[in-house]
Amino acid sequence: MTESIERVDRVGWRALLMPMGVLLGAVGVVLGLLFLTDRQAAANASAVIWDLVGNSSEATNLRRGGGDQTLAKLIALVVAVVVGVGGIWLFFAGMNAIVERLLPERTARKVIPWVFVGPALVLLAIFLVFPAVLTIVSSVTSADGLKNWEWALTNPAMLATYRNNIVWLVVGTAGAVGLGLLIAGLVDRVKHESFAKMLVFIPLAISLVGASVIWRFVYAWKPGGLEQYGLLNALWTGIGFDPVPWIQTPPINTYLMVVILIWLQTGFAMVILSAAIKGVPAEVTEAAKLDGATEQQLFLKVIVPMIRGSLVTVTITTAIVVLKVFDIVYSLTGGRFDTDVVANQMFLQKFQFGNEGRAAVLAVILFIAVLPLMILNVRQMKRQGLPT
Amino acid sequence: MRTTRSMTATAVLTMAALAAGTGAVTAQSPSAMAPAATGYAELDQAMGADQPFAGTKVSVQTQWIGGEGENFAASVAAFEAATGIDIVVDSIGSSHETVLRTRIEGGAPPDLAMLAQPSAIIEYGKAGQLVDIATILDGAKLAAEHAATVGLYSTDASVWAIPYKVDVKSTIWYPIKAFEAAGYAVPTTYDELIALADQIVASGSAPFCIGMEAGTATGWQATDWLEDVVLRTAGVDVYNKWISHEIPFDSPEIMAAMEKVAQLWFTEGYVFGGNTAIVATPQTQPMDPMFPTDGNWEGFTPGCWMQKQATWYGPDFFPDQRTSGQPSQYVIGEDIGLFYFPEIDSAQGTPALGAGDALMVLADRPEVRAAAQYLSTPAGIEAWIAAGSALSANQTTPAEWYAGNYKLEVASGIVANATSFGFDASDLMPSVVGAGSFWTEMVNWIAAGGADTQARLQAIDASWPQ
Repeated sequence: MTESIERVDRVGWRALLMPMGVLLGAVGVVLGLLFLTDRQAAANASAVIWDLVGNSSEATNLRRGGGDQTLAKLIALVVAVVVGVGGIWLFFAGMNAIVERLLPERTARKVIPWVFVGPALVLLAIFLVFPAVLTIVSSVTSADGLKNWEWALTNPAMLATYRNNIVWLVVGTAGAVGLGLLIAGLVDRVKHESFAKMLVFIPLAISLVGASVIWRFVYAWKPGGLEQYGLLNALWTGIGFDPVPWIQTPPINTYLMVVILIWLQTGFAMVILSAAIKGVPAEVTEAAKLDGATEQQLFLKVIVPMIRGSLVTVTITTAIVVLKVFDIVYSLTGGRFDTDVVANQMFLQKFQFGNEGRAAVLAVILFIAVLPLMILNVRQMKRQGLPT
Repeated sequence: MRTTRSMTATAVLTMAALAAGTGAVTAQSPSAMAPAATGYAELDQAMGADQPFAGTKVSVQTQWIGGEGENFAASVAAFEAATGIDIVVDSIGSSHETVLRTRIEGGAPPDLAMLAQPSAIIEYGKAGQLVDIATILDGAKLAAEHAATVGLYSTDASVWAIPYKVDVKSTIWYPIKAFEAAGYAVPTTYDELIALADQIVASGSAPFCIGMEAGTATGWQATDWLEDVVLRTAGVDVYNKWISHEIPFDSPEIMAAMEKVAQLWFTEGYVFGGNTAIVATPQTQPMDPMFPTDGNWEGFTPGCWMQKQATWYGPDFFPDQRTSGQPSQYVIGEDIGLFYFPEIDSAQGTPALGAGDALMVLADRPEVRAAAQYLSTPAGIEAWIAAGSALSANQTTPAEWYAGNYKLEVASGIVANATSFGFDASDLMPSVVGAGSFWTEMVNWIAAGGADTQARLQAIDASWPQ
């Protein structure tokens, strides 16, 4: 056809520009990266500029490693943006052009998707797949490997930790999704719907550590007779009981920490489920009402089954977040008072005790725990017809 | 570990010299830093009139934030002024050890770092991540000026850190004026302490203020209590064997010490707020009930009367300064005082428990050497001493610098009169115990009101790395 005739014409010296461009671009990116990784390079560059302006004392300072780094940082920023944005653009544009112009059309169509996904796949392989495989292998083959596995699977403190994780999983997921569903259903009929939704959604923007600080004050304890600045104890003593050190009292401390996570995650579940509920066709709800369904029956027997897909997705996503919980436990108790979770123990083993072997074992255990949920998630997405 | 024992043995007794400054070698006059030659090549060069290193940067990471951070910054200010070198201080707070480990393992360490745990310092040194101090300073001079502490950071011929600051832990803080008003005398024996506690309980108050909640670090205070008691009931030899695990936690000596601690903590009414308060009160707040809310001691009965806490504690923890940021109206020496945690068994004498911070050198550049050399001299901690809050590890520090400072005089007096000296055990044990199971099990023991003592001690033993 005309296209292929045109393409034949174009294969000439001009077509070589593209690969040349890509090559030059690649070289430029590499040089840029070398520039950015060398600490002194940006400082030297800014020193050159100071020399040109005439301020040679500042230039010597910078060359020696001191001086005012603002200009150097600015230069590094510009280089980073040019290298980052420009380099990536050049790569994709160049590869696209090469494949389109140098390969026959049918092959080109098959290869192009790999060109665009390729770099991401390579990076994932290097930074995700390779370390994961390495961790799994080293946890078993390292010197104390099997002893560490034995410790992880039989030590009573670790068994208590797994028990805690299960509490978090069940109560946290059920709480966040259930509450999100309830609020989504109720808020559907409320006049100031967006405002109400926003209030529930805001905690999602708070970091887990920030939330831990807030709730630490809510759960704070002072000896009886003194003024309680912790909200919960203020209410508790107001009713007439003695103040309770909530965070230090097992087993309720774990549940109170789960409350923090529920407070954070409910907004996420609510937003997704609210959208799903609104997606239920009006004819269905009207038909159910005509058939004499009460509000409760309408919600539970008509709406919920219709949003089943979103419900499953939200549950799985929340479960994955809950299984990885670390910040809340680390900030509030450091794992003490029977509140330890796997992610916290993994952190302590690696960074406080320097025991990489045990940390690796715990990382693998966490990975195995999350894997079924990921598989379910992908299956669910396939069922919903989303591209997988 | 054989090395641990020889380390702690080196620290015994010669602390007396530290306190009295009897080394009496050339006293560094505070204001005349610049002209006096220190004998260290890079330091003298840096202080020269031409300031050859001016404009360069030296980074140092410490755990000192708040008031302590300011005191450290003041201590290096004179160096910065004299040399033009910019000391960039990274004050990390409670995550200091974690952040430091990550930076060192990640290949981007600070130039200098302070650390309190000798075992961790030796670990880094053996892994080749530190510069041998013997190549920066004259090893013999360092050993002579820091005789009591240098052994803790040395292996064979290498020295891995410069001892910088020492703290005495065997002190109890108390309200002087309230004691006078009530007619209480400072106890000098354990029996007197118990009698005083009973007297206070009978009068309707609680004798002890204890609060150890500190997030991930909760529990280190409990280990200090136990260490002080072990020194007093079992003696320094048993103490050192305990550190090296020749004597396990589950041994009669340690059990007996735990029982003494239980008597002080769990006797009805002894602790303000009961054993719950011990683990639930943040460690910056336990002394609050000791202070009158309006600053007037007349007719005021403290809620609690004694807090066992180290000498690094100070006015920045008093409730008025802590909440307002303004200097406290309470003066140490007039309103609040310190006394020695009494001997328990006279056969074991009057031991002193202490700990220290040492400076590790992680980069080898001339300006880094100059900074390290400066910090090894008494002048390197002078401003902190002047602020009334630090004891230098350098035993040639002039005694006049401590004179007139109540807290430091008490501390140096304790050390001078100590019949034996123990270095903080949890800092010397492997970190999975000393910063791990020891803390956790003590906290669990307190939360349970002192139940299952043996099970707790056995759990700590079980966690000792094989």
